[in-house]
Amino acid sequence: MEQLLAALFQLFEPTHLAFLFAGTLLGLIVGILPGMGGTSGLALVLPFVFTMEPSHALAMMIGVLAPTTTSDTFPAVLMGVPGTSGSQATVMDGFPLSKKGMAARALSAAFSASLLGGVFGALILSISIYYAIPIIMAFGFGEQFLLVVLALLMVGALTGDNLFKGIASCFLGLIIGSIGTAPITGDPRYTFDTLYLLEGVPLVVVGLGLFAIPEIVGLLDAKGSIAKSLNTKKGWFTGLKDVVKNWFLVLRCSTLGCLVGALPGLGGTVVDWIAYSHLKQTTKDTSQFGKGDIRGVIAPESANNAKEGGALIPTLIFGIPGSGNKVLLLGGFVLIGIEPGLDMVTTNLDLTYLMIWSLAIANILGAGICMGFSSQISKFTLVPYYILAPVMVCLIFFATFNFNRDWYDFIGLMSFGLIGITFKNFGWSRPALLIGFFLSTKVELLSYQTQAVYGLSFLTRPVSIILIILCLATIVLLTKQKFDKYYRSDFVKGKLTQIYYNIILLCLPLSMIWFTINLDYRANLFPISLSLIAFFLLTFILIIKIADLKNLSFLNYTIIKFARSNIFEIGGNFKIQIYYYLSFIGFLLMNFIFGFPIAAALFINIFILFHNRKAYVSSICISAALMVILWALSSLLTLQFPNGLIGLFIDLPWWLGGQLN
Amino acid sequence: MSLFSFVSVASADVNFSGKTITWVVPFKEGGGTSRFARFIQPFLKKYLPGNPDVQIMHIPGGGAIKGSNYFEKNAKADGTFIFGCSTSVIVNVATGNPLVKYNLSEYRPVVLLPQNTHWFTRSDLAEPHDLSKIKERKLVLYALKTPASADLFHIWIYDKLGIKGAKPIPGLSSSGGYQAFLRGEIHLSSHGAANYVKKVKPEIAKGKVVDLMTLGIIGADGSVSRNPLAPNAPTFPEMYEKVNGKKLAGADLEAYYAIGAAWSQASKAMMLPKDASDEIVKAYRDAAIKMTNDPEFKAKAEKALGPFPLIIGEEAGEIIKKAAVFSDNTKKQLNAVLKKHKFTYRVQ
Repeated sequence: MEQLLAALFQLFEPTHLAFLFAGTLLGLIVGILPGMGGTSGLALVLPFVFTMEPSHALAMMIGVLAPTTTSDTFPAVLMGVPGTSGSQATVMDGFPLSKKGMAARALSAAFSASLLGGVFGALILSISIYYAIPIIMAFGFGEQFLLVVLALLMVGALTGDNLFKGIASCFLGLIIGSIGTAPITGDPRYTFDTLYLLEGVPLVVVGLGLFAIPEIVGLLDAKGSIAKSLNTKKGWFTGLKDVVKNWFLVLRCSTLGCLVGALPGLGGTVVDWIAYSHLKQTTKDTSQFGKGDIRGVIAPESANNAKEGGALIPTLIFGIPGSGNKVLLLGGFVLIGIEPGLDMVTTNLDLTYLMIWSLAIANILGAGICMGFSSQISKFTLVPYYILAPVMVCLIFFATFNFNRDWYDFIGLMSFGLIGITFKNFGWSRPALLIGFFLSTKVELLSYQTQAVYGLSFLTRPVSIILIILCLATIVLLTKQKFDKYYRSDFVKGKLTQIYYNIILLCLPLSMIWFTINLDYRANLFPISLSLIAFFLLTFILIIKIADLKNLSFLNYTIIKFARSNIFEIGGNFKIQIYYYLSFIGFLLMNFIFGFPIAAALFINIFILFHNRKAYVSSICISAALMVILWALSSLLTLQFPNGLIGLFIDLPWWLGGQLN
Repeated sequence: MSLFSFVSVASADVNFSGKTITWVVPFKEGGGTSRFARFIQPFLKKYLPGNPDVQIMHIPGGGAIKGSNYFEKNAKADGTFIFGCSTSVIVNVATGNPLVKYNLSEYRPVVLLPQNTHWFTRSDLAEPHDLSKIKERKLVLYALKTPASADLFHIWIYDKLGIKGAKPIPGLSSSGGYQAFLRGEIHLSSHGAANYVKKVKPEIAKGKVVDLMTLGIIGADGSVSRNPLAPNAPTFPEMYEKVNGKKLAGADLEAYYAIGAAWSQASKAMMLPKDASDEIVKAYRDAAIKMTNDPEFKAKAEKALGPFPLIIGEEAGEIIKKAAVFSDNTKKQLNAVLKKHKFTYRVQ
């Protein structure tokens, strides 16, 4: 209790509040940009937080994380596009309300429901911390192993639009995560004798590549910013009243959100839909749902923000992330030297409380800003994407380089960017890939540790049995709910491309087997087993795809129908996205020649002017502002930016890429 | 003219006025070596002649090899480049990692920060300071991060103490290992001094955990004294004598000194490149001695750096040589225990 209050006072120190506030603002912005979410936001700040004091870094990271599910309501209501995956259900009734001219009411109801849900989540988190010690003590290697495997399966099963593609994504992530030094024997696996792959690609680079880059090209492709600005100022009070009237619904959905969030692996991907269907099941008059019922906004918004508190429970005490953004949060913990587990509820309890308070306050701040400045903030959805995109690309490059100051990271970034774009377009699961990648080492180690301590007997320990039942039940229930509709892939064009892509994916497990087969069995057992499973899954998916293309008759069996749903998918104009992606590679080459600051200024001008010749005022102002910021950062933090070849021939100031000293 | 030459003679003494000193740390921000560097940084600026700016340059990656190789290749010997070293940097050299391109034993150390390791077990498994019950057990599990790190020394220590059931659980960090130890899944555990005070002492006070031994504090003359944090716990040489009935001597003693130098005495270090002149090394050592007498340093050092006094001077160079160059005998010993426990990794 003493520490709880001490943490609150610590948080109210001006520097802490400043970091929390900065994080919250950033979180609001990434939440508003459609498609961007907490994962991209955290990936952007991680390369900078690790120079900070741990408590400042935590305040900032939580600040980024907390308000994304609040501000993502803007695009959901105004544009009918979910700002993050957590607000998909909000679109169902939020957009119709906005079309009826009740956008303000929908937004205010959503923000206040979000606020209440978020604070409720923080409250539940702070209570559960008290009971965490016995739970941690009851979870030995065996239970943790099960927990991780179950988390992986659930993420795989639930984040993809097709069950098998989701699980295959998970296994591909596990395989990529096993690249590098084998943890038991120290043998290099799949490294081609490079020092870079020996350590594995850094998590931040993977996160930025998988999430940020595909969203940027996706929005460029969609030629974003079709939102109407918020014209009506009426209805704010009505929205508040709606929430007060439905207080019991808020409470129920918050509880639901917290519980679902706390189940490792579920955190956040489906919680809004669960809340929405709970609402439908418990309401008598369902006629207005989908046409603009305010309860359809309140239910998912309170749940999706409450889940943040719940999802932090497995993250903090077991180090098992339930969603993409928790993976990055854990990555941040590693950077600032915090290890999840027992320490979080004993010696580092003050930091845990600091996070809980930050979560609560960031939620209040976020919702407050959203309500107070809604008309200004909603204008953010009006900024043309060709202006935002190059700035964001520069930011991503800057963050990537600042992480390790290693040119190879750009190759990693662009490779995972390509994986991200193809995954997004062809309906494979990026969260599953990221979580598999992150948990790979942990799974491998836990399997050895479990084997050494328990053998197979761990399966009969009581906690294990409960976990297994819990997992099976969740998967059955949720897959039934999620796949009850029969989606067809009839309208998808370019099916052949996706079949070729499937074949390319098959190369990963096959080459992994090829390169590790001669190692010690303790070094290759794990990657080879994974590769075999992935191989069979991918082959199965390939067969279904080919059968779908040829329209073979055996597809009509019920079970196969299930596998066929969404076997093909297309997210946008793939070719255009690849063109944009290639322009980023052009930017990389410019970096190589001119160094980062000059290349960034050039890239921003070229990119904006290519889309709109008249926008030269914006392009010059933005690039000038960027140069000033870079100059300030370099002198404040003694940062050196990627320096290009040009620095070898021309005498430049060192921050532009000249010689050191 | 004569006045001018007089001035230039005077400045032949080391003076860093207006210069920037780059401190290369081959780890991430926030790690132990980084914290060590950041704690010393302001004192260095205060006491080096000319009060130069000191900037810390983190080059993490490749298990500290990337930054260390960078330093070897780029550091100037004029005193404007210093190196932050740690046990893992030394172990990379001592165990002959083929990617290592730095010749650590020729570097000129300025300051060493010692550490010490404590071993302990659960109170239901053994009496305090007594291994006999542990030795009777068929299975004694302990945490081992990877054999290609300082954890390798655990394998050797348990082997020399005749714990036949000792079996490493791979891939556990010291904190993860301690958690598993508290859960009752592993039997032996160890911690460095700071975590021993913070996490283990409370459990000892509760009666759940008992001390077994410490690595011992090795003096300049090779004598070994007990760790002041656990004055009743025997040191490894004492335990060795009790278990084996003979004094630690010969090849075993040699290996112990090498391990002790790498693991304990040179746990963290600040070094100058190998070509740094004696004047520069002296200027740095003088600054370090002035630093240890600074009241602010005295007030904060125990909390930030731990209870063991810094090692400054020629003695430090000897320790680094011992730590970074393992004799063939020591390597043979380490490889023998690696083989015994079926590790494929070998010290080169």
